[in-house]
Amino acid sequence: MPPVPSARNLKELPKFRDGLSYLYVEHAFIEQEAQGIGIYDQEGLTLVPVAALGVLFLGPGTRITHAAIRALAGNGCTVAWVGEGFARFYAQGLGDTRSSRRLQIQAKAWADPALHLKVVFRLYQRRFQEPLPPDLTLEQVRGLEGVRVRAAYAHWSRETGVPWQGRSYDRGNWAASDPVNRALSAGAAYLYGLAHAAIVSSGFSPALGFIHTGKLLSFVYDVADLYKTEVLVPAAFLTVAESDLEVERRVRQKLRDQILGSRLLERVVEDLLWLFSGLGLPEEEAEEDDPTRPGGLWDLEGEVEGGVAYGGPDPGEGP
Amino acid sequence: MVVLILEKVPRSLRGELTRWFLELDTGVFVGRVSATVRDLLWEKVVEKAGEGRCAMAWRTNNEQGFSLRLHGYQDRILRNFDGIMLVAVRNAEAVRKAEKLKRLARRAQRELDNQSLD
Repeated sequence: MPPVPSARNLKELPKFRDGLSYLYVEHAFIEQEAQGIGIYDQEGLTLVPVAALGVLFLGPGTRITHAAIRALAGNGCTVAWVGEGFARFYAQGLGDTRSSRRLQIQAKAWADPALHLKVVFRLYQRRFQEPLPPDLTLEQVRGLEGVRVRAAYAHWSRETGVPWQGRSYDRGNWAASDPVNRALSAGAAYLYGLAHAAIVSSGFSPALGFIHTGKLLSFVYDVADLYKTEVLVPAAFLTVAESDLEVERRVRQKLRDQILGSRLLERVVEDLLWLFSGLGLPEEEAEEDDPTRPGGLWDLEGEVEGGVAYGGPDPGEGP
Repeated sequence: MVVLILEKVPRSLRGELTRWFLELDTGVFVGRVSATVRDLLWEKVVEKAGEGRCAMAWRTNNEQGFSLRLHGYQDRILRNFDGIMLVAVRNAEAVRKAEKLKRLARRAQRELDNQSLD
């Protein structure tokens, strides 16, 4: 079967830079409508253009169909379920035309201690305005990061007049947390969802974290932390400065404004690619001629052709 | 850039709009006006539309890249999803599903009340 000649198509167009960050829905049915999804709730049927969407957050009282999930996955949209206390889990599906090249580079960097450390320093450096001195130890950089984060909270507390007594993570009693901590936790859930969507749509793994390790979302925390003090902290303090009421809902609008103002959607993909470039790993940028071609089979001597039934006199299409 | 779509409106209103807009198709106007002129024109359009329907879209600096207005639609409303404007349609299936959601919400509330009694 001759390879199909490559053609530019809508899937190649940059998704994150041109899209919407997230949509939050609750108390609704979500079904496929035409080529997108429809939200059925008390207001009627609301159509959503999914090609432009990064994350769909499903709040309490939502039901979603198989067809809707397929429409979302086909467009590279991450689906995240958020509960009352902002417990969350994610679903994402990817077509079989996606390459694992970037993920393999990430895995190699993760597994090599010297490269791992290099990526860790890059993750820290990205948060600071000025370049860090190259001779700092990891412990020293962590100390500087702690100072930077505390200074950010203090700055926005002064700027907005919202009192700040430190970060509290009382997971057992959501309502008892003070408003700014509730806004921070709610906003963090949305920022994590967005980081997750960016990681997956760029072809990386959410699990292979570098600063954070040991969780299936470790890399999500790494990426979200690049932008937390710039985007989430002002959104939370500005939300609470307006009112103590319904901070979990109102922080969504403020966060969206901060995301737009900081050009986060454009930057997150650029930052992901930058993290793993120039590490000395092979980075052949050759585009696949035919994304539907079966992947290769691993061999000691190098990759052998996939989609072939070996061991017979007449090699044909295999499993 | 502003796009204006008018249906079942007086002919004189459409004629008047050609002072500012290009009438691309019957009732479809495209042009570029300042925010002040845009808002004043919308007031005029709504005032003179009678039983007609009016929709306006214009470029703006938000995440979607545009803003929307509707007037005179019986079956369509704009909805704000934390800063994202989407269009809700009230058709027969939507009404039926809304009723079902209401029943589900009531049932969930009863179950919650029953738990509280224990």
